[in-house]
Amino acid sequence: MTDAQVVKRAKYKSSVKDPGVRGILKMTRERFVFMPNDPSLPIRLNVEFRLIKGHKSSKEGSNRPALLNLTQDQGNYIFEFENFSDRELCRDFVAKAITSSGEVGGPTSEKAVPLKDEQLSSAEMERRIKLLQEDSELQKLHKQFVIGGVLSETEFWATRKKLLDVNASRKAKQRVGLKSDMIFNVKPSSDGQSNRVTFNLTPEMIHQIFAEKPAVRQAYLNFVPTKMTEKDFWTKYWRAQYLHSTKNIVAAAAEAAEDEELAVFLKQDAILASETRQKIRKVDPTLDMEADEGDDYTHIPGHGLATESSKDEMEAQYEPYRRSFLQDINRHAAVVLEGRTVDVETGDTRTVAEALASSKRIELAKEASDNYVHQERLDRITRMAEIEDLQAPRDPPVAPLCIKDPRDYFDSQQVQLGGTRQVKSRLSTSEAYGSLRVFISEIRNIGLSDPIVKPEVALKVFNVLTQNISSSKYQLGKNPHESILDTLPSVTKEELLLHWTSIQELLKHFWSSYPITTSYLYAKVSRLKDAMSQIYPKLQEIKESVQSDSRHQVSLLVQPMLQALDAAFAHYDLDQQKRSAKSGEKPNGYA
Amino acid sequence: MHLQNLKTPPYRSSYAVAVKSHNPSPIFRRPSLLINTFLYESKSKNNRVKSKNKMKFQIEDVTVYFPYDHIYPEQYSYMIELKRSLDAKGHCLLEMPTGTGKTIALLSLITSYTLSKPSNPVKLLYCTRTVHEMEKTLAELKLLHKYQLDNIGPAARMLALGLSSRKNLCVNPDVVSAENRDSVDAGCRKLTASWVRAVAIENPNVPTCSFFERYEKAGGDAVLPPGVYTLQDLRVFGKEKGWCPYFLARHMVQFANVVVYSYQYLLDPKVAGIISKEMQRESVVVFDEAHNIDNVCIEALSVSVRRQTLEGASRNLNKMSQEIDRFKATDAGRLRAEYNRLVEGLAQRGNLPLGDTWLANPALPDDILKEAVPGNIRRAEHFLSVLRRLVQYLKGRLETENVEKEGPVTFVNSVNSHVGIDQKMLKFCYDRLHSLMLTLEITDTDEFLHIQTICDFATLVGTYTRGFSIIIEPYDERMPHIPDPVLQLSCHDASLAIKPVFDRFQSVVITSGTLSPIDLYPRLLNFNPVVSRSFTMSLTRDCICPMVLSRGSDQLPVSTKFDLRSDPGVERNYGRLLLEMVSVVPDGIVCFFVSYSYMDAIVNSWNETGILKEIMQRKLVFIETQDVVETTLALDNYRKACDCGRGAVFFSVARGKVAEGIDFDRHYGRLVIMFGVPFQYTLSRILLARLEYLRETFQIKEGDFLTFDALRQAAQCVGRVIRSKADYGMMIFADKRYTRHDKRSKLPGWILSHLRDAHLNLSTDMAVHIAREFLRKMAQPYDKTGGGGKKTLLSQEDLEKMNGIEGMMF
Repeated sequence: MTDAQVVKRAKYKSSVKDPGVRGILKMTRERFVFMPNDPSLPIRLNVEFRLIKGHKSSKEGSNRPALLNLTQDQGNYIFEFENFSDRELCRDFVAKAITSSGEVGGPTSEKAVPLKDEQLSSAEMERRIKLLQEDSELQKLHKQFVIGGVLSETEFWATRKKLLDVNASRKAKQRVGLKSDMIFNVKPSSDGQSNRVTFNLTPEMIHQIFAEKPAVRQAYLNFVPTKMTEKDFWTKYWRAQYLHSTKNIVAAAAEAAEDEELAVFLKQDAILASETRQKIRKVDPTLDMEADEGDDYTHIPGHGLATESSKDEMEAQYEPYRRSFLQDINRHAAVVLEGRTVDVETGDTRTVAEALASSKRIELAKEASDNYVHQERLDRITRMAEIEDLQAPRDPPVAPLCIKDPRDYFDSQQVQLGGTRQVKSRLSTSEAYGSLRVFISEIRNIGLSDPIVKPEVALKVFNVLTQNISSSKYQLGKNPHESILDTLPSVTKEELLLHWTSIQELLKHFWSSYPITTSYLYAKVSRLKDAMSQIYPKLQEIKESVQSDSRHQVSLLVQPMLQALDAAFAHYDLDQQKRSAKSGEKPNGYA
Repeated sequence: MHLQNLKTPPYRSSYAVAVKSHNPSPIFRRPSLLINTFLYESKSKNNRVKSKNKMKFQIEDVTVYFPYDHIYPEQYSYMIELKRSLDAKGHCLLEMPTGTGKTIALLSLITSYTLSKPSNPVKLLYCTRTVHEMEKTLAELKLLHKYQLDNIGPAARMLALGLSSRKNLCVNPDVVSAENRDSVDAGCRKLTASWVRAVAIENPNVPTCSFFERYEKAGGDAVLPPGVYTLQDLRVFGKEKGWCPYFLARHMVQFANVVVYSYQYLLDPKVAGIISKEMQRESVVVFDEAHNIDNVCIEALSVSVRRQTLEGASRNLNKMSQEIDRFKATDAGRLRAEYNRLVEGLAQRGNLPLGDTWLANPALPDDILKEAVPGNIRRAEHFLSVLRRLVQYLKGRLETENVEKEGPVTFVNSVNSHVGIDQKMLKFCYDRLHSLMLTLEITDTDEFLHIQTICDFATLVGTYTRGFSIIIEPYDERMPHIPDPVLQLSCHDASLAIKPVFDRFQSVVITSGTLSPIDLYPRLLNFNPVVSRSFTMSLTRDCICPMVLSRGSDQLPVSTKFDLRSDPGVERNYGRLLLEMVSVVPDGIVCFFVSYSYMDAIVNSWNETGILKEIMQRKLVFIETQDVVETTLALDNYRKACDCGRGAVFFSVARGKVAEGIDFDRHYGRLVIMFGVPFQYTLSRILLARLEYLRETFQIKEGDFLTFDALRQAAQCVGRVIRSKADYGMMIFADKRYTRHDKRSKLPGWILSHLRDAHLNLSTDMAVHIAREFLRKMAQPYDKTGGGGKKTLLSQEDLEKMNGIEGMMF
């Protein structure tokens, strides 16, 4: 335990409005002690955390007091801290202390604390609070069990680790795409007095430049820092951009002739050109306009009517320096569409350049060896050739998935399955294993070039597997918009749902406690059992309270819950018997 | 969703079989059986669905197989008209809106027609404008063929293939990697020319093409089995067998039932002379998307000569004279043999080895006289000196400071009097050059394009006396300060190039989504159609929404008229229109501009005013450039952006390559904006000359023709958004001139009938409002069959019922 105690300056208040008494708050694992600065004052607190039932704290804000309220069965203790960070620290400590003392304060007053001390950071705490706020059902459960003392805070969240983790990791992992904006025409800022202009480059912009202009990227890797400094490099780059923007090809060519580094930026991008050549071979043949040139005999030089396009023929020596704004736009859009290929957070330009270069190489190599893409493209053409509304949708007929009400989906599946018999297969494990081996060797030979399972087969398997679900859904309510629950009075409905979720929660904890290895678990199980046995009669009550016409349906709903509870009770009793038998043998064992 | 879209690859069933046969022990039987049951069930289900639902119906004595469950009523009446013209063995002109399945209706009727009359099979020559349309057509044909095979069995077998140049068919990696078509052609010739192969037999170090050699060796056995072959399929087949797909396809064209190729293979005499020479008369020729056919025809017979051409030609002549000297020293007999051959006449094309053919004479076959080459150009060095004089003369003509325009007769006379080359010599230039190049064993033909152009020019000018004019311009009208002299031989008469097609084949079908006004085409092309009809579109719901936008959001008029074109207010209003639309319309938006230069200017202006940046915040922007490779990739990316939901805008140019043949159906185009009226550049001398010719010959008024031409382009641009009736899209004509009746009325009927009076004179804000309403309405589910009143989808029963009531038409 790193900090077994916390000592902070704080004011003790009897109520929120109370100006409070200055003093020192000292918290240890078991208790907290408040000593006023003025020893003459009678207020002196020494309270065990065992007695504290919960804690509240004020919202963080600039001009608000940092309050912490520790609630007891009767009355409460309010402390005001000097700042929020102190408060956070104490609050976390309190939360932990209450949990552990709650556990300790269980029926078995053993000292052993089974769960490791969970030191909550304020961020974690906040996430939990946020989750509770977002999900009213969770909040209800939390209130019922944690505040109600059936489960401890830690236990409650232990089963929801995923919820906490997933949320956190998803937030962190979402990648931001590239911006749609183009940065090529970043306006330089000028100071208005001299002829100097200033460009502001951000890592984001550099990333974009490198992604869109492989030649610049390559030049950076070649030149910086051996040949020139980073600053010089970018100066030259912007100089080249400026020359382009003037659209004076002749001037650009002249400048390039003098400065070979500058020429790299001015010339057309050779890497890009080779990439383009690769890509054009894989393009959808129904779009491939380049192929048309092969059949165009009227526009061989000198033939056909002179069109607009042949107008601006440029002398060959300037040809490498031609680059149009329109090309830049296309290139930019293509890069944005590709998305962020590398995940480099650093601002180090060189790392970015290298990462981009290597990711490009991998991508090209992958594309070159990919013949699956080709097959897919052919399929696409076939699909595109069909006129969609002249024929029924392609089979197998699949109901569009409607999120609004899952019953629609299951019902339609049921209708389809109506006639087909269930595919029954009894396979011994060796048969299944053998078949699996055959498949694996097949895959080794053929490769995973295609969807491994035929869509039709997959659908069939899926149907067979979900048949039970769909049939029960189907039988329950023909009308998808009206379930049994909806026919019940809303009070009963809500009660049922509440009981259902709480039973779920309790059972989850109950079963996860077995086998009982420590006395802590033993205590937990008995707590859980008590809570469940409280719910049991309530369910019976509901069953009897409803009117006779819907009683049958309600009992259908309640029955599985009761069964689940019965099973749990039976297990508990059995275990209890075993335990008592054992304890006879080992009198010095667990209590 | 995804389950239904995944198509089973062809080898899947064999895979299942493999699983079964590889099971040596009985233990494994069960699982494989399980899988087989699945396969069997899904397969039999498929079959059942197909044979039950897909259509088979009678049109008079022809049983038509149609590979869908339903048919649009207009497709049905289209087939009826088509069948009548086939029966009458005459030509026809059919206009049917885009998005009503013209192609499949055509293919389905013509193939079924052949199947019903096995005694008199007709061959189908299907002409598309572009290679990608060729691929699309063949994909549809595949679908149809599969259905016919399933239904009739082996009797329905046929051979259908696409034909293109070496560049698109070659599989020899060394050759096909060349940059353009001419280099690929030359690269091929270097490996396959008869003299190269003759040398290679003695000297194994001389490279040849293994694919060509194997194809030659296979001889008569090298045939394509029946089936439908796209260019890709041909390449795959060629690679598999080791045969050259290009020469195989060229050979198989004679036996194929359906040939799909480019317009130019029939219309351009240079190509038609070698490819389409042997097609039988009992063929049906279809020109799909033929609204521009007159332009293709006149371009096929036009030549332009610039300074670079003449300089290149001089270089070519020097090279050739060196070659002649070399031959004189080493192999004088060769030149003498050529001389003797020329005395007997030029009949060289029939017995040329396969690898030696190249572009044929640019003049039409009927116009080439079968006679001996004039004596004064028979000797190689004499011919070269004639060419030198001609080039020199043309150089002199280009020096002019004024625009000159004259007819071919005057021009020929002037050539004769200045440099002493008469009309007959000019006429034989092309064939004489061809013969000489063969004699000199020149394989790098791509280097000799310039002299070829000069000879094309000479032959054309020597052959035709009417329908052409020669125009010499010292500089471009738009940039008078830059001297850029050009001499153009321009053809004005579209009927010249297409005449042999009408004469040679029994039925020629000209069809497109926009052939309005339909009576103009027979005049332009000078033929008498037996059927000439325009079909309207029966719509289940108002799935197209054309609008005319005449004012911007500030109520000022918008137009690309010359005086308003570069007005910053108009540019801004156009920008705001697009900006408003990108925030309202989902998925893809396509914008068409009147020209490249206008697009360039407006994009730059939008960039400076920040409008482009705002547009980019909503959607990605892709632009058509003059570089086809780049444009193709931009289109590919555009589709990806629409597929992934990001949404995109595509900027394109009316009359450009994209407007010609790329579909923006479904989510690839929910809105088309036509910025301006795409008039031709009216000050162009060539256009003026053509207008004059049209007025004198056909009594077509200039204004009428220009408006007709501009609006067919506009209609073509906006028509690309609809692919089927389940599709929907909006069309905005953004120019105040569209509000005028004389302009608007030239639009095809299917657009006009949906253009409501309330949508004729909109401002930006009103258009945005209409767009919102329209999109909301279209997003609702609807009854595809058209519900109660008029049926827009016919099933087989509907057709049978209709056949009972004779003479019912739509």
